[in-house]
This record gives sequence, C-alpha cells and structure tokens, in this order.
Amino acid sequence: MTDKLSQYLEGVFAPYEGTRSVSELKADLLADLQERYRELRAEGKDEATAFELTVDSIGDIEETVQEVTNLSRTLERQVVTRFDASALEGSDFAGVSAREGRFGASALRGSDFSNADLAGSKFKSSDMKDINFDGANLTDAVLTTAELKGSTFRRARLVRTDFSMSGLYEVRFEDAALTDVAFRQTDLRRTVFARCTFTGVDFTQSDLRGLSFEQETFTGVKFDQAALEGVSLRGAILRDCSFRGGWTKKYYKALRTVNFDGARMDKLTYAALKGFGFTPANVIVE
Amino acid sequence: MSTSKVTSDLLRGNTDTMILRLLTEADRYGYEIVKLIAERSQGEYELKEATMYSSVRRLEADGDITWYWGDESQGGRRKYFKITEKGRATYAHNKTTWEYAKRVLDTLL
Repeated sequence: MTDKLSQYLEGVFAPYEGTRSVSELKADLLADLQERYRELRAEGKDEATAFELTVDSIGDIEETVQEVTNLSRTLERQVVTRFDASALEGSDFAGVSAREGRFGASALRGSDFSNADLAGSKFKSSDMKDINFDGANLTDAVLTTAELKGSTFRRARLVRTDFSMSGLYEVRFEDAALTDVAFRQTDLRRTVFARCTFTGVDFTQSDLRGLSFEQETFTGVKFDQAALEGVSLRGAILRDCSFRGGWTKKYYKALRTVNFDGARMDKLTYAALKGFGFTPANVIVE
Repeated sequence: MSTSKVTSDLLRGNTDTMILRLLTEADRYGYEIVKLIAERSQGEYELKEATMYSSVRRLEADGDITWYWGDESQGGRRKYFKITEKGRATYAHNKTTWEYAKRVLDTLL
C-alpha cells in the first residue's frame, strides 16, 4: 500500500520532475503521507478508505509545486539566454557529420542541418527556431527543453530521438517514420505531422489537443495522461496503443471527444478503450 | 459556518503564523504540524499538506525557519523544522498585528 502512495505521488509530480526542490518536496510529502496512512490503518480504517483519506489530505499540490518550481525554471532559462549571442545563428551545417555533437544551450536559430548526420548529438535547452533538419539523421539525438519553433523534419531519421518538453510550435514532421521517439510533457497543439508512421512513440502527458493524426499508423504508441480533447484519429491504424489516464477523470472525459471514425484497431487497443467505459463508434476492430 | 470561503481564506491567510507558533514550542516535522493544527482546532481547521509545504518553503526562503534531518523513523529520515531568531520576531509581530486587527474588526462587525 505504501507503494500505491508512492505511485500516486509519482503521477502527481511527473510533470514537474527534474528540479531538486520538487524532488525534495515529493520526499517530504511521501514521509508524511505514509505516517498518516499507518495511523489511519491503526485506527481500523480499511485500506481503500485510508488511502482515500490520505490522498485527500494533500490538498492542492499543483499550486504548491508550481510555486516551488517557478524559481528553479527561471534559473534554468537564464543559463540558455547567456548563449544568445553565440555566433552559430544561421550557420550552414548541411550534410555535415557531427555524431555525438554537443550543441547544448546554443543559439542555432535559422541554421541548416539538412541531411546532416547528427546521431547521438545533444541539443538540450538550445534556441533552434526555424532550423532545417530535412533528411537529417537524428538517431539517439536529444532535443529536450529546446525551442524548435518553425523547424522542419521532412524525411528525417528519427529513432529514439527525444523531444520532450521542447517548444514545437509550427514544427513540421513530414514523410517521417518515428521510432521510439519521445514527446513526453510536450505541447504539440500546433505541431504538424503529415504522412508519418509512429512506432513506440511516447506521448505521455503531452498536450495533443485538436491535433490531426488522420490516416496515420500507430504501433505501440503511448497516449497516457495526454490531453486529447478534439484529437482526430480518423482513418488511423492503431495497434497495441495505450490510453491510460491514471487517477484523472478529466482524461477519460477527453477521450470521448477523440474522433475515431473509420479507424482500424487491434482487439487490445479496442479492449483498452472499452475498459474505460468508452466504446469508440465507427471503428474497424481487427 | 466554519467551512465558508471567508473563514477558510482567513484561516489559510494565517498559516505562516500558525506554523511559527508551533515551532516556538518545539522543533517539528511536517506531518506533526498538520496533525497538531487539526487537534488544537478540534478538527475545525484541516491544514492541507500542500498549503503547509507552501508555507514552510516561504518561511524558509524568508529566513524565519531552517530544517535539519532527524533520526531515522519508520518512514525514513524525517525533516525537522526549527524556528530562527528572525522567525520568533516575525511570530511576535504577526501576533501583535492579529490582536490589533481583531480589536478593530470587533468594533466594526
């Protein structure tokens, strides 16, 4: 049961992970909750009641975490700003081989990386607006917490590429096969995916509201705890996809607004959706 | 009604001072603070963990309290909060302010 409390906190804190102050808060809270839970059990409450009362005693943790993180996030951003004057803006890297390159916290705005081999390169926290990554090899590349607004990834090789928490406003992924790519906690509302296939892609806790994934193919894709209001999966093919909302009722409500018209899905995915009391209409179960 | 918005805002607005008060008596850990507040108010005010930790972080940042690791307990190491000299002064000041506000409100309400 202590594990269940711990899991609950993991879920609540996941979007804010990565700052020391937050990890500390989580640890403090867990110790308190465990003690409360033990006391409630000792008073004779059953497991479920004790768990519910314990979780209820937390209150509005999101506000607290936000307060605690805001300071740390601001500090992180300042580090990036210091590199703004770097001479790499608008640079031509077309066709270069820069395996394992370190571009962390760089200003690369408007650069051309088309057909470059960037396998394993790290672009963490960089300013990468309007970059051309068309045809580039980004296998194992790390593009987390980066600003990628307006960049393009046409026919790019995307295997285990990590885009988590980056700014992907008006970023275009076209004719690309995304394999084990991570978009965790990422705002994708204005990202364009055209003629892509998604295999093992992780959209956990991302904001996908209003996004169109029509006619695209998804295999082993995670949509767990993502914001799904108004997503269109019309005519899409879904195999072994996971839609888990954890403790939030909001998720399941949003799931009902997803358009699955004419989508084809395997029995597992269909059963998973039905398990939440949601039966998608007009789908082909195979 | 003890659960009205006004009441709960009024109580919450004094969380910092409540915590300081408890720490003037002894060093205490998180859950102990929450529990003591429930006990002393005879359940009239339930301080949520989230509100308590917001307050504690704020008091820490202001230099009113510090913390240290206590001995191992059943749930792992416990973090004890301790009031500083500045914190004692803050408590005294807040308490005086409250007495004053209470007097004024009594003449007006």
